[in-house]
Amino acid sequence: MSDAVVEIDGVWKIFGAQADEAMAAIRSEGIGKAEVLERFGAVVGVKDASFQVAEGEIFCLMGLSGSGKSTLVRHINRLIEPTAGAVRILGEDIGKMRQDALRAVRGTKIGMVFQNMALLPHRSVRDNIGFALELRGMDAYHRAQLADQALETVSLHGYGDRLPSELSGGMQQRVGLARALAADPEILLMDEPFSALDPLIRRNLQDEFLGLSENLKKTTVFITHDLDEAIRMGDRIGIMKDGEIVQIGTAEDIVTAPADDYVADFVAGISRLKLVSASKIMVPPDAYQAKRKPLDLALDHPEARPEDDLDTLVELSTHSDLPVLIKADGALVGVVDKNTLLHGLQGSADQ
Amino acid sequence: MSMQANTGAEQRNIEDRDVSIEAFCVTKADYYAPIFERHQRGQLPRWHMNIWGVIAPWLWAAWRGVWLMFWVSLAIDIIAIVCLMQVIKFAPLLAEAQLDPNANKTLIPRYTDWISTYGTIGWMLLILGRLWMGSQANRWYYDQYNRWRIDPTVASGVTPKRLGMGLAIILICSPITTYRATQLRLDERACFNQIRAAESVESLMAQYQLPDVATLSTTVRADATAAQALYDQLDAISDRTAEQNTARSAARRDARDLGRSADLVEEYAAITTRDRFDCFFIDDFPTLARLDPPEDVTYRRVTDDAGNTEVVAQIKPPVEGRKVTLFTYSAESIDISINWLRASFAGAFDAMTNVLRQSLIRVEVAFMQTPWPVVAFLFLVLSWTFTGMGTTAFVASSLAFLALFELWQIAMQTMALVVVSTAVCVFVGLPIGIWMAKNKIARFITEPILDVMQTIPSLSYLVPAVAFFGISQPPAVLATVVFAMPPMIKLTALGIRQVPESTKEAALAFGASEHQLLRKVELPMAVPSIMAGLNQTIMLALSMATISAFIGAEGLGAIVTAALGDAQAGKGLLAGIAIALVAMMIDRILRGIRNSFSRI
Repeated sequence: MSDAVVEIDGVWKIFGAQADEAMAAIRSEGIGKAEVLERFGAVVGVKDASFQVAEGEIFCLMGLSGSGKSTLVRHINRLIEPTAGAVRILGEDIGKMRQDALRAVRGTKIGMVFQNMALLPHRSVRDNIGFALELRGMDAYHRAQLADQALETVSLHGYGDRLPSELSGGMQQRVGLARALAADPEILLMDEPFSALDPLIRRNLQDEFLGLSENLKKTTVFITHDLDEAIRMGDRIGIMKDGEIVQIGTAEDIVTAPADDYVADFVAGISRLKLVSASKIMVPPDAYQAKRKPLDLALDHPEARPEDDLDTLVELSTHSDLPVLIKADGALVGVVDKNTLLHGLQGSADQ
Repeated sequence: MSMQANTGAEQRNIEDRDVSIEAFCVTKADYYAPIFERHQRGQLPRWHMNIWGVIAPWLWAAWRGVWLMFWVSLAIDIIAIVCLMQVIKFAPLLAEAQLDPNANKTLIPRYTDWISTYGTIGWMLLILGRLWMGSQANRWYYDQYNRWRIDPTVASGVTPKRLGMGLAIILICSPITTYRATQLRLDERACFNQIRAAESVESLMAQYQLPDVATLSTTVRADATAAQALYDQLDAISDRTAEQNTARSAARRDARDLGRSADLVEEYAAITTRDRFDCFFIDDFPTLARLDPPEDVTYRRVTDDAGNTEVVAQIKPPVEGRKVTLFTYSAESIDISINWLRASFAGAFDAMTNVLRQSLIRVEVAFMQTPWPVVAFLFLVLSWTFTGMGTTAFVASSLAFLALFELWQIAMQTMALVVVSTAVCVFVGLPIGIWMAKNKIARFITEPILDVMQTIPSLSYLVPAVAFFGISQPPAVLATVVFAMPPMIKLTALGIRQVPESTKEAALAFGASEHQLLRKVELPMAVPSIMAGLNQTIMLALSMATISAFIGAEGLGAIVTAALGDAQAGKGLLAGIAIALVAMMIDRILRGIRNSFSRI
């Protein structure tokens, strides 16, 4: 995928004084985490992570605390240097950049939002938002204009002259988002941006960010420990465990085909209504007729398309006793009866 | 126990506890388990005693690892024994005094009184202490058991190793303390005389090449007698020639010196092992080494006819036989090095003194030649702008105090000193503080130095300051800087280190360079802390005003020191109050300014 905006290629991060020796040992002997800790006193933070994010895509990195997702995302703007592997931003290897070029990329190409906002308490909201622009040497007049635009974008118009401490947590995080957007970067890094907020405000901000994202088309890497959030926000999701990416895919892929027990455990409690489409659970017409009873197509069967989600099928089934016919371009491709539907909802296979 | 064990849960609890007490006590759990249980129920009577706690509490405590009890019981016993030893010490003195009751009318009742008081206290302490230890032993042991249940590293069981350790401690502390208590205080010169005798015997031994002290003693005495005889013989001649006169005085000197040496050797021979022991162990720490003093050099700058300046060292001949302690040796060496530094780098010190003096003069002019209404007005405006009504009233009355007692100009002089010192502190302290915050090694080096700067008595560095920079204001500024700078440095470093890691990370993520990070994030966020440091520095600088008056700094402090010298209490008090008022005034106004900074 050469058109990827963010490309992470075999990144390893090992913390400790003997990181390089540990890396060499891992390469040559293939030793595990426990042995690395024992022999080199080093901790493996990220283990051979690779993924690409296409332009305008929202890529969610999901994992529990300590799974290395925050560490991994800090490699993208090189706040953390990888022990091995490469990170390419818009086709350029960020690890080979000189310090001033790196600072320019950080200031203009990448915006970052932090879990604890990390606003500067002694600066007004406007000066906080214009911070990256100020660092690049932009004059105060243009800075203020761009900052006010960004404030408008996050619907905080008129709050420019407040201090961050005068704002609520949700508003502070909007300021954080505005600060990331002010320099109009191609890439947004969101490090658990909504985790510290209460559920209602979190949902509001999620919706708002999705709306913004549709308009602005920023390539986004979004970190979260909440699978619901990952499913809501992400075009694709990468699941991390102990520093390793265990599965990458769309929400539906992950819910219907978890890569291992760990992921399966994670998705067990997730509602499949909006995630799983008819094509995943439908039974082909022949098999259906062989196992159950013949279909009488003359009756008034409810009909749906293969990409319709389970929610739609449930809705259709409640109005009829007959199985739902799944038709693609007018041709019958499958049948879903109530049994199949219930199994599909539960996530088990239809017998 | 069995009658309460109705439910399974209680049964299990009781069994658990029994097992754990056994694991804790290792031996004699049968004795301790019921005692612990009674103690838990609150049924242990006050008079309950552990018999070993009464007989030998320290041994029992060491054996069981109850170290608190070990130390407490040992201390009680040692104090009691020391008291009883006083009886032994004074009894012979009393007996001696009673031989002649008429001559010792005051001594007899005094000794009798001491003997009975110390005796009573000693016996009471011994008996009551043992009873207390006996009743406390099992209770403290129970507390230890409880702590052991939480933290298994707490001593448990019985080990001979602990017993051995306890015995060793007792052996080191008790006998020598007891012995000391039986002895009268040593003669102050006794130990010094011992050392001197030993030294002269050593040198005489080398001189005479003799193997032992006894022969040395007789030889030296014989020589002394011979010299005396020679002198007597020469002295008897009535009409001496000049030659004979010289020989006579030489003989007299020899006779005197040899006589002294012989006395010293005899004195040395008379020193008993016990005297040596007394001097070494029971009084002051013994003098281990006596050294030859350092060469007495004076460095002086000399300008020759051609106008070249060079440092000339003048060496004085050493005093014959003078030996000094390590302390004196080091102190004299330091004196000599200061002297050398002063002579070698006179130019640098003079230049520095000059810079300080010039800047002081400028500031003093600014304070003292500005008409008093203007200064007063500025103070009032400052406090009105940054603080409230009350503080402004306080500032106004303080100014009135200074004005009415005619201390205005002098107070302004003090302020000039404080302003210059504070400026130096800020210009030097701020960069050091930043460096210290950023660099671990710098912190490691600077922290102990700052602690020394703050705690070393200022009088002890005033003397070298005078040596380097002369008297009057400039050394006063430097002494003040030494004393007042540490809070500036420490609080700057603290303020910068307190900036949250996440905030710094965010700044870096938006492309800040190290320099921008410091200027736009760390320093602004450290401002409240830096202001607190500045405030502290000013207060400390003011408190140095009196001390620096000792080396000729002018101002309010000079009045205080003068009043101290002349025993004029009123004058000193008024000037002292004036200093306090100036300090409080500046503090209140600065606090107001600081608060306006810390809206963050």
